[in-house]
Amino acid sequence: MNPSEAPRRQPVVLVHFSMADRHYEPLQTLAVRYTVEGIDPRDVKVVERSVLWYTEGKGEEDLGVHRFERPGAPAIGRPLVGEFSCPLPLSPLSYEGLIVKIRWCVRIRLFFAGGRDFVSEHIFDLGDVPVAAFPGRP
Amino acid sequence: MPDTTAHSRHHRNPFATRHTRPGAVPPLDDEGRPRDLVAVVASLAGLPQAAIVGPHGTGKSTLLKAIEVALSAGGRSAGHLRLQRRRDAVSLHAAILRARRGATLCVDGWERLGWPEAATARLLARLRGCQLVVTAHRAVGMPTAVRTGGSLPLLEAIVDRLPDHGGLIERADLADAFARHAGNLRDSLGDLYDRFERRVRRL
Repeated sequence: MNPSEAPRRQPVVLVHFSMADRHYEPLQTLAVRYTVEGIDPRDVKVVERSVLWYTEGKGEEDLGVHRFERPGAPAIGRPLVGEFSCPLPLSPLSYEGLIVKIRWCVRIRLFFAGGRDFVSEHIFDLGDVPVAAFPGRP
Repeated sequence: MPDTTAHSRHHRNPFATRHTRPGAVPPLDDEGRPRDLVAVVASLAGLPQAAIVGPHGTGKSTLLKAIEVALSAGGRSAGHLRLQRRRDAVSLHAAILRARRGATLCVDGWERLGWPEAATARLLARLRGCQLVVTAHRAVGMPTAVRTGGSLPLLEAIVDRLPDHGGLIERADLADAFARHAGNLRDSLGDLYDRFERRVRRL
């Protein structure tokens, strides 16, 4: 089998939030710690980490990056771990609507030698907007 | 598609745009089988201009996106342009003038152009030696490279490739949505989005 055809191991990205219920209030500081498992850390060239919101629903999507970091190359031979923190903004608040949702997430993106990348998103809540219900339902 | 983790308050709707937009699902033929992209790209060779033709929501944009990615890998793409209104012709003409000779410009939504803008784009492309591959709802005077059409097996194959819906959507839902929307796959997926939302909130 050609090496390029060999099945690739998928990384597992574990993210630990400072708030166990992943619920934050506006202006509160988000702090996270992440670990990448399941791959050889030497294969990873760059780790990008960002805090962003996006819309999800039936129509066009929107996205806003609140925080973006691209630290230097990971130290060779060390496990892939990291942590970062940032104050959260006043809006947009997380919203679980019917035709559109607003989601906040921590996104860890790994770039491998050869150009392949892997994206892992970890959702958290900003604010406390109630989940939308269908009309007529309690 | 990113690996996403959420908690119980969040329901990941597998029919949301982020999972169904062009590029998220590989291009499939009317029987729901993966399209042979190599053969599609080869069929475009030698055609200065070519069209992917089919009704609304039948996978034209998905196929065009996949063609553009394949051409990019070979260094032959001059980009991908999505026309949303007639005045986007200005961007199209500029993109053609920037394109390298022999490169391919993929243009989604050719019917948005009026006759003069389309004729100008075709003339500029010919003069620049830039290939145009476009999507349109009907024949537009270019050779038709691929004709797309919605079918129930195609909708089923797409849904099989989306994130798990947890058994909330049944095969009968697919047939019903497909019939309601007269074969428009995009609208059928929108219908399934609504059914999923309604049912997941009853859990």
